[in-house]
Amino acid sequence: MNTPINIKVKVNGKEYKRAVEPRLLLSDFLRHDLELTGTHVGCEHGMCGACTVIMDGVSVRSCLIFAVQADGHEIETADGLGTEDALHPLQQAFMEEHALQCGFCTPGFLMTIIPFLRENPNPTDEEIRTAIDGNLCRCTGYENIVKAVKKASVKMAGKAK
Amino acid sequence: MSKIKHMIGKSIEKPDARDKVTGQALYPGDINLPGQAYMKVLFAERPHAIIQDIDISKAVKLPGVIAVLTAKDVPVNEYGLIMNDQPVLCGPGSKKPFAERVRFIGDQVALIIAESESLTEQAKKMINVEYQDLPVISDAREAKNDHGKLVHPDRESNVFCHYQIRKGDLEKGLHEADVIIEGEYITPVQEHAFLQPEAGIAYIDEEDRVTIMVAGQWTHEDQEQIAHSLDLPPDKIRVIYPAIGGAFGGREDMSVQIDLALAAWHLMKMGIHKPVKTIWSREESIIGHHKRHPYFVKTRWGATHEGKITAAEVELVTDGGAYAYTSTKVMGNATLMCTGPYEIPNVKVDSYAVYTNNIPNGAFRGFGGPQGAFVAECQVNKLAEAINMDPVEIRMRNLLREGSLLSVDTPMPKGVTIDKVVHKCAEKAGWKNTDKGWQAPAISKKNTDIIKHGIGFACSYKNVGFSFGAPESCTAKVELHGKDTIEHAILYHSGADVGQGAHTIFIQFMAELLNLPLEKIHLIASDTARTGQSGSASASRITFMAGNSIVGAVNNALKKWINNERPAIAEYEFRPPKTTPFDPQTGKCQPNFSYGYVAQVVDLEVDTQTGKIKLDKVICVDDVGKAVNPLLVRGQIEGATVQAQGYALMENFIQKEGRTYTPTLSTYLIPTILDIPEQINSIILEEADPIGPLGARGMGEMPFLPFTPAVVAAVHAATGIWFDEFPLTPERVISKLHEKG
Ligand code: FES
Ligand code: FES
Repeated sequence: MNTPINIKVKVNGKEYKRAVEPRLLLSDFLRHDLELTGTHVGCEHGMCGACTVIMDGVSVRSCLIFAVQADGHEIETADGLGTEDALHPLQQAFMEEHALQCGFCTPGFLMTIIPFLRENPNPTDEEIRTAIDGNLCRCTGYENIVKAVKKASVKMAGKAK
Repeated sequence: MSKIKHMIGKSIEKPDARDKVTGQALYPGDINLPGQAYMKVLFAERPHAIIQDIDISKAVKLPGVIAVLTAKDVPVNEYGLIMNDQPVLCGPGSKKPFAERVRFIGDQVALIIAESESLTEQAKKMINVEYQDLPVISDAREAKNDHGKLVHPDRESNVFCHYQIRKGDLEKGLHEADVIIEGEYITPVQEHAFLQPEAGIAYIDEEDRVTIMVAGQWTHEDQEQIAHSLDLPPDKIRVIYPAIGGAFGGREDMSVQIDLALAAWHLMKMGIHKPVKTIWSREESIIGHHKRHPYFVKTRWGATHEGKITAAEVELVTDGGAYAYTSTKVMGNATLMCTGPYEIPNVKVDSYAVYTNNIPNGAFRGFGGPQGAFVAECQVNKLAEAINMDPVEIRMRNLLREGSLLSVDTPMPKGVTIDKVVHKCAEKAGWKNTDKGWQAPAISKKNTDIIKHGIGFACSYKNVGFSFGAPESCTAKVELHGKDTIEHAILYHSGADVGQGAHTIFIQFMAELLNLPLEKIHLIASDTARTGQSGSASASRITFMAGNSIVGAVNNALKKWINNERPAIAEYEFRPPKTTPFDPQTGKCQPNFSYGYVAQVVDLEVDTQTGKIKLDKVICVDDVGKAVNPLLVRGQIEGATVQAQGYALMENFIQKEGRTYTPTLSTYLIPTILDIPEQINSIILEEADPIGPLGARGMGEMPFLPFTPAVVAAVHAATGIWFDEFPLTPERVISKLHEKG
């Protein structure tokens, strides 16, 4: 039952081959096996959104997915979004708008918002609110997160032109 | 003191933010060390029992299991922030009297250390504990008077703390009153729900210190408690805080700290040099750490037709849960604040902290202030209604002012501004100061048969720093480097950045005082081996205390710099004016050395068909003395307001017979973005605190305090019903509406 299964996953553009236990969660696979600790775990059952990653372009909760289900798929995490010297505009906006305090929720928010902005590059405040209503933040009161998304969308739209 | 130059009052970005947005910041659970072992706790999961026997023989034989520790392995099997009333591990075999008892579901029974996390899980299931269950004591009001059933059999009573205040002559004051309002209130438990569950890693460092990397609020207190339990001198223990995923008071007491230290130390004695790591699940976090205290309150207040409050009598009973944690201190605050920021000539308060078999209660943003404010503000709003006076007007006639005597019969520290704060908030919300006094705005939105609108007012004050004679100080060390001019500076400081931005503030103070660019300031933080005693990141004290310590250390270092010392190194320990404890008979004391002041208006609508409350607008006016970083200050106001909203409207922690029915984030609901007010209007006043660093006061807690009573007043304005118990969940609202018919 616990025989390891070979999987091949592309994470942040890099291909990883690993043998994993069938019940290993994607969140644990990323955090422990690949040591990509930018993905956080806050509740282990799909409630907080801290563990959100992007799988084939879509936001998913990595605590609700087994690593074996990611076999052959492409994952993006906060670790790969930008670098310290070349931040993604969304990361930049989070910093500027003080959209994080403890920052534990931040990677999950980023990974929820990135696909949302790809689909909807010019969102209203209302749409932003709905997009992040599944992510919990206990520190900020959310307002600054909305501002950051707005700011990033404007910047990114400008760049795209 | 140096002149304000360029860095104070500026909304600079948090220097830790870059790491946090790129996922590079390391929280305790993200740190891995070569060869690490894993640790799991076996929790009692029953509220009250005697452990007859623990059989670990099967578990230790499982290949890969390194050790299983029980009570007999703890050198001094007790700990606690205020008193050592809690066993580290419950069970037979230690010297601590009655340590074989478990007193709440989160009591810890054994630590399992193994090569992998799944092995710790497996081994845990192989431990056999024989319990003899005891009757569960779950109601603090009953436990208060029941001396037959004791949570701690070595004590005479379940009451472990009692304070009283006797000011003036209560009966005379009630006699002078034209109206008397009696009230009975119950405030709920609240769970911190910081997003990062408890975690940490421990190892023996190069100087043979048992080293623990963990998220906490007070490095040196962690160090002291660990040292006590391990029976080691404190300098053999080293506590380091990496990134901390929120705290709100919930990390002030021990969770994984002593366990981790014990495990690493035990392995070392076995000749095994392995770091030990642990991460609690959310469920372990919720049963494993304390909560906000529920309070059971009986009170009566009197006022004249002219709106003068003549007397206040309050009895507070608080459920401390199984162990004291910081209950005595929290209750001190509630005892002071339950009569509000008002000068009342005749006051009688009695407060009792009681042991039960519930999860212990302790520090949580506001620290007794929110419970006290709820009582005081509801009483004042009801008095205003009874004498047909505007709620702002009655406050203006009773507020504390410069030189006013508190209920504890001593004058307020200088810099009292609650009247300015109330004035500003009322004005912003549309109140008019007429020749007949303050008058509330008419409600602009139309009520329908179903939707009713209301607006509510409340105000509060919150102490800054430790109170009631608790030793209070904060240390900073500064190094100035360079030749002719200061090229860069290093600050050593223990003050914890729990997310609020403490370290940003430290750097701003340094840059300001030394007139250096931010990138020339280097901060070494929160490591007991390198940084001095700072006190905790709590009691809204960090900006105030750390700021003053940094001002002192910089001044001392500059003196050495002028004397050509290179590098110029100086340390400074800031001590604020002394406070004193309650007099046992009268309660007379000098409770605090500084306060922040806050007022709020809440504008909401009640759907009388569903019981759902929707917040339209919140106005929050805070006197912060000096906003060192306005962006961070607004972040605190918004965050505290939303957390208070959870407390007032939705967070429903259910505990019955000592068992928890809401141990997950799917059963204990906290606000999402769709629950929050449409608009939070935060207004910052800057009336300098005479002893604050560059005038700053503390402010992280105060926006929380008046929120619930303001909501309750607004709901009353909308529906005519006073709610004396919350959270105001739709179920509670609708059932009251039906009662009223
Ligand atoms: S950890 Fe996955 S949603 Fe909370
Ligand atoms: S910043 Fe702390 S949980 Fe969002």
